Amino acid sequence: MTDHAVLLLQAAADTTRAYGEFPLIGARQFIWITAEIHLMFAAFVLGVPMFAVVTEAIGIFGHDDRYDRLSKEFTRLLLVAYSATAIWGAMLVFGLSTLYPRFWAYLTAIFAPSMWVYAGLFFFESFTLYLYYYGWDRWKKGRAKLWHWTLGILLNVWGTIVMFIANSWLTYMMSPPRDITPTTDPTSIKLWHAIANATWMPINVHRVIANVVFGGAIVGAYASYRFLAATSDEERAHYDWMGYVGNFIAMSALIVLPFAGYWLGREIYQYDQSMGITMMGGFMSWLWVIQAFLIAVLFLTGNYYLWIGMGRIPGAERFQPYTKYLLIVLVLGAIVWGTPHTMIADSKELAAMGGSHHPFLGALGVMSAKNTAVNLMILTTFLSFLMYRRANKRPVVPWARTGTIIQGAMFVIAAGVVLFYGIRGYFVEAIVRIGYSVYQVLAVLSCILFVTVIDVLMGRGAQSLGTIKWGKMPPRSQYALFILAVTFTWLMGLMGFARSGIRQYWHVWQVMQDTSKYAATPALGYASKMISLCVLIFLGLVAFVFWLGGLAEKSTYVTTEKGPRGGHVGH
Amino acid sequence: MWATNLKIVGIVLGTLALYTLIANKIPQVQSEVPQTLTLGANVTPEQLVAAGEKVFNGIGGCTTCHGLGTRAPNLLTDENGTGPIGARCGKREPGKSCKQYLYESLDQPTAYIVAGYQPIMPVMTKQLSPAQIWSVIAFLESQGGTVDVTASDIPATSSTSTTSPTGGGGGGAGAGGLAGGATDPKAIIQAAGCLACHKLDGQGQTIAPDLTHVGSRRDAESIRKKILDPMSSIAKGYEKLAGIMPKTFGTMMNAAQLEALAQFLAAHK
Repeated sequence: MTDHAVLLLQAAADTTRAYGEFPLIGARQFIWITAEIHLMFAAFVLGVPMFAVVTEAIGIFGHDDRYDRLSKEFTRLLLVAYSATAIWGAMLVFGLSTLYPRFWAYLTAIFAPSMWVYAGLFFFESFTLYLYYYGWDRWKKGRAKLWHWTLGILLNVWGTIVMFIANSWLTYMMSPPRDITPTTDPTSIKLWHAIANATWMPINVHRVIANVVFGGAIVGAYASYRFLAATSDEERAHYDWMGYVGNFIAMSALIVLPFAGYWLGREIYQYDQSMGITMMGGFMSWLWVIQAFLIAVLFLTGNYYLWIGMGRIPGAERFQPYTKYLLIVLVLGAIVWGTPHTMIADSKELAAMGGSHHPFLGALGVMSAKNTAVNLMILTTFLSFLMYRRANKRPVVPWARTGTIIQGAMFVIAAGVVLFYGIRGYFVEAIVRIGYSVYQVLAVLSCILFVTVIDVLMGRGAQSLGTIKWGKMPPRSQYALFILAVTFTWLMGLMGFARSGIRQYWHVWQVMQDTSKYAATPALGYASKMISLCVLIFLGLVAFVFWLGGLAEKSTYVTTEKGPRGGHVGH
Repeated sequence: MWATNLKIVGIVLGTLALYTLIANKIPQVQSEVPQTLTLGANVTPEQLVAAGEKVFNGIGGCTTCHGLGTRAPNLLTDENGTGPIGARCGKREPGKSCKQYLYESLDQPTAYIVAGYQPIMPVMTKQLSPAQIWSVIAFLESQGGTVDVTASDIPATSSTSTTSPTGGGGGGAGAGGLAGGATDPKAIIQAAGCLACHKLDGQGQTIAPDLTHVGSRRDAESIRKKILDPMSSIAKGYEKLAGIMPKTFGTMMNAAQLEALAQFLAAHK
């Protein structure tokens, strides 16, 4: 049977109501909005419990009640957020079953058992959450507290499994196993065979890390709002500290995220080179320029927040002159990372450019330059954090000077390795060059790991130059946290479009074609409007959730004579 | 507090507006669904060129390698001082016209490998319909040369075609299979163009694994699977060429042909 015949058969099958239509906005837009907002809430209710369980652990093992209260404050928000997740999930399922019935029937024929498990786990997850939240004050001390903390871990386990199951459905759409063809009877496909497809695990890992980033960013935005609305210095100090913790967690996880994305990209290429080329060099190539811009905003804003934060730390003055150099490195890195290279171009554009690459910018747009830029940006951000961390401390260990020299040497070596392989990459074949990125990443991660270990050891018994003046932050620092949250959310929408869009006019890549009137994949301009709309709806609803949280109960910050401890919070 | 709320709303809306504006300012490229290509008997060179440009930039997937890096020679721009493809195609092979050279390059890409490039191009006559192939040739000729493709070059039975990017529709395959449905394995091999990449009994190219003793490495079931899904297993040493073999042979042959071919190759111990 030719593909022509397959298409005709498929078109004939379409006549038996393959597609429905949604009034006013259309079927695809309805699915786009419900899927995206469901995903954003899902990321929120998966990311925040990770945040909550970690902060509760710090509270338990660090004997610091503030972290415990912080954890509870966010768990309270989860209750409403869970409902929102379920509502949008239900809208998505009803949308799929009524607007894309043939496709939905195909998916359920393969994945039905996993959908039952999914629903069951959601039930467990919800009741674990109720126990976790409502049992907070009852199981507050001793062994009972540890059991309570275990509930938090269990909540994360259920949530992660739920996400892994949902990921299997969407990754199957991207990368169905190669032995599955358009004529394969879906009921004959083994469930595990469909689940364990090529992109399932890379997406799982990428989303777990991204959820941590997202949870941290939303926590930061919440704290910044409460900071701006605070009526007392004590309250302002509490939410300043909370914003710092949220931002710290988001930025720390963000540093690892590009490596998980790199793995996912590699798996896509290995699964189907044409799909990879469509993603990076085809009609989606401009998307990566936008992504580079967003990442640049994240790095610059995250660092900006840290630099402003140094203003509230006694002793930070000695580091502040260096921030302008860090800014230069970040800006240059962002420019290089955003340089286009293999853009899709028509004949006129190619002729105007004088070739397939820009004569000058082409050299900066290659992977060698981009990998070098992003690794140097990560190192720079880490250096910013290190300066922030050490701002109010003077090490007293006898080897402090040697330790600092070793730390400096590690930065120099890591930057040297990154630059060396970046430059050498221009003189070797592509397959060798790709391998170099591993050395660059290892150099940066090793530097971060060992410098941190040295810093922790060196900070033992360090002389304090004064406590952090929590709450002494200008409002612009809090607006920076808002920009971070909006940018993270928009980036999530953009990457969702990239992941879904590379299937182009296939519901299931090269297995089930989209023959609806919405089959063409829209250009980035249209997609950006949809993403902005989704982000706006999501943030509006999150603001409502926060407002409800405020109505239900007073903030968990507790007025004390001392106020939040300055000390080494988050250090 | 209202002033603060307004500021927050302003920052959120401003940030969203900025990102949306930038995304709308860059070149807008939409991924289209394959469309029917209809070329009548009176098709003009201009219509052929226009149709060919769409195939070249769209479902032909040509820009994946040509003009986007170092994978293949530039066709639309200068290549080492020889001009764009329309200006140089007539000089590439002595005695061959531009039209002949381009058709053979699409039908047997390994016949003329430009120095410095790898033989990675798939057989395009198996990927595209004859109407699409000839329109692409017309478009390439228009890049610095003279278009001499006419409707008479296109087989009458295939002036209309719908082709998905995964191929099919061309190559002489129909509902009855390749080579008019013949079950003679040699006729199938000839019609499918297997020897453009594989060697068999001393004939053909050595780009892909030699099939002369394929039966000692694979049984009939394995060969059948490999034809239906070329990515199901990659021969050792050929990993770099994974994905080059067209995925469409399974849909171009009928069941009897597939079985005959699998048994024939499995007997090559």
